[in-house]
Amino acid sequence: MKQFLIRVAVFLLPIAVLLYPLDVLLSKWYKMTHRYPGELEVWNAIYDGTAQCDMAVYGSSRAWVQIDPAILSDSLHCKVYNFGMDGQNFLMQYMRHSEFVKHNPFPKHIVLSVDVFSLAKKDGIYEVKQFLPYVLWNRNMASVTVHEHGFKWVDPFIPLVRYSGYGDVLRQIETNAREGESQEQYRTNGYRGMDRTWSNDYKKATEQQASLQLEIDPAIQLKLESLIRECKEAGGNLTFVYCPEHILGQQYVTNRAEIINTFRTIAQQNGIQFLDYSYLPICNDTSYFYNASHLNRAGSMLFSTELASDLKRVYK
Amino acid sequence: MLFNTIQFGLFLSLVFGLYWFVVNKNLQRQNILLLVASYIFYACWDWRFLFLLIFSTLLDFYTGLQMQNQTDERKRKMWFWISISVNLGFLGVFKYYDFFVTSFASWLAACGVEWDPWTLQLILPVGISFYTFHGLSYVIDIYNRKIEAERNFIEYAVFVSFFPLLVAGPIERATHLLPQIKRSRWFDAALAVNGLKQILWGLFKKVVIADACAHVANHAFAHAADADSLTLAFGAVMFAFQIYGDFSGYSDMALGTAKLFGIRLLKNFAFPYLSRDIAEFWRRWHISLSSWFRDYVYFPLGGSRLGKWLSVRNTFVIFLLSGFWHGANWTFVFWGFINACFFLPLLLRGRNRQNLEVVASDRIMPSFNEIVQIIATFAMVTLAWIFFRASSMTEAFIFIERMITSGTFMRPELFSWTLILLIGILMCIEYIGRKSEFGFDGLLAHLPRPLRYASYYAIVVLVFFYAGKEQQFIYFQF
Repeated sequence: MKQFLIRVAVFLLPIAVLLYPLDVLLSKWYKMTHRYPGELEVWNAIYDGTAQCDMAVYGSSRAWVQIDPAILSDSLHCKVYNFGMDGQNFLMQYMRHSEFVKHNPFPKHIVLSVDVFSLAKKDGIYEVKQFLPYVLWNRNMASVTVHEHGFKWVDPFIPLVRYSGYGDVLRQIETNAREGESQEQYRTNGYRGMDRTWSNDYKKATEQQASLQLEIDPAIQLKLESLIRECKEAGGNLTFVYCPEHILGQQYVTNRAEIINTFRTIAQQNGIQFLDYSYLPICNDTSYFYNASHLNRAGSMLFSTELASDLKRVYK
Repeated sequence: MLFNTIQFGLFLSLVFGLYWFVVNKNLQRQNILLLVASYIFYACWDWRFLFLLIFSTLLDFYTGLQMQNQTDERKRKMWFWISISVNLGFLGVFKYYDFFVTSFASWLAACGVEWDPWTLQLILPVGISFYTFHGLSYVIDIYNRKIEAERNFIEYAVFVSFFPLLVAGPIERATHLLPQIKRSRWFDAALAVNGLKQILWGLFKKVVIADACAHVANHAFAHAADADSLTLAFGAVMFAFQIYGDFSGYSDMALGTAKLFGIRLLKNFAFPYLSRDIAEFWRRWHISLSSWFRDYVYFPLGGSRLGKWLSVRNTFVIFLLSGFWHGANWTFVFWGFINACFFLPLLLRGRNRQNLEVVASDRIMPSFNEIVQIIATFAMVTLAWIFFRASSMTEAFIFIERMITSGTFMRPELFSWTLILLIGILMCIEYIGRKSEFGFDGLLAHLPRPLRYASYYAIVVLVFFYAGKEQQFIYFQF
């Protein structure tokens, strides 16, 4: 038995020794890519401290393609960073916030872009591979990414294991290592304006499903309440923003008014400013949108200017 | 809990540790541990069906004892038929009832009679076909006075439920496994190391070969109606390697795992794709099932002793039963039938036992003639696999029709040189190791230590690279 155990240990030793260094190396290379689109850049900025800011913008893609931190920064004379997460609800946004404040000072002001999907539960985890380089021994990230459609329970504990099976990730790393990764950033301070024109996304969505009824998940709402509490404790300000939404898209979710009202009530109960821009005149004009819920670059600049002027009144 | 998961790795390490370090001094405790571990393993699939497994075990244990103790032949026969009926009854209810009533309703509909049958729509308990056949062989052997009934329930229960073979075989015999369970077991380092190598080889076959081929095969069968000939032909070949990698990989992992506990299970595969004719293929593919049907169906029917035509009848019976054993679908029955048809010319010419030794057993390379025979046998087997894989007879015929008629010389969809290379490596290793218990073992015997270790690590890296997209083992559904 002793001989057997020694042979097994000798065989496993190089693997065990190499697991962590290989993990570090793979993660380092993978972080250098600008994928999901640009999400890895934001994660890197959070962990290396370059995302430190006075005003943090949270939200989904409605935040990162619509709120230009440069315009806000110029107007408010403070550093602004956009942490909007592509395709994610508030559960993930809150996890990103927690990671941010773990590695950076709490921002003075948080602008939270809320939308009809913010508090709705999602079936899977969108672009789970963006978390690969950061989830090892990260309990906070693991708590929302270990999932039937996400990571396995063992992934955050044992180095390298989570990369197993992600052949495309390994191939991407190999390509980057061979060809050298482009140094050009996809987002600037978390934002990227989209030079796109109105597409038929909305038509396609309604052809698939004429309308949608969304349910508020109490667990996600609790996370929102946690953020409010944290802001109070840290002495930071919080503003809810409902970004412009094309008039067509406003009819898609049947209980939209009820959801917005939930945000309004939470804001009122906690003394939070709620800025609703879904009734701006640009919401009737497709030339400012590339689909029913996302402004293009021109639209986002107009909206960001309007937002900056409104935030001037509340930003201390 | 699949064999190719970390959960199973942890489970196996825990049971191994307890088995050799905590209860190693006492055989009874070792067997109790194996039984508890086996029931936990089974409960991880679906704990509700654990009661069915325990009931089936108790039934065969009790009827076995009753047959042993009875001097009255009529009562012996009664206990025998009780056991057979209940065992087959379970299979009938869980696996075949819906198939029979819906087939009957279709037949009535064809005759102009409308009948909406009441179906059970039960989930098939994992491994039911395997553990039922364990029990049946035990009861039949007692009835035929080949063995004596086991009087220790724990030992009998371990024979039925030993976790490496519980969900997909090999289908063990009481004559082979029970004596090993009853015998004191001491740790054999060489056997354990060999077991680990076999597990590693099984992982390669399952994770690297089968799961990668599954991607291509699934695509071909999903697009049977609109894909071109070469895509479908390539898909069919990939399915042949998928099912081989999947099932023989599982069997290697099962045999390797059992070796860690000092137990040798029946060999289930012996390089079937190196077979030179279909009869040889069936002596090398799913050996434990083929030999089960041979011993408990073919021989009792008279085998080949009662003349050529009865021998043909018996051959068709076991092939059709073998097909039906796999699942309640006409595709499986037809798969059995088509294999019987392939077997028939050999049987009629008395050449079904001409290739008993592995190819080129006394040479390095096979002859040109043998290579042609191997390719022809593989083509026949692959054609039959189309019926095995298709979800209906219509789908299978459409697949074959389009494979023949939609000819283009375009590169098949999802064609991958990497996959071809991996299959090439598999077949080369299998060929080099064809005289050994499993291919990898044979290869290792030819390599110096540094290359041996390099091979292990190469497999670990490949398994790491391809793992993750865990696909169920095909045979778990049977």
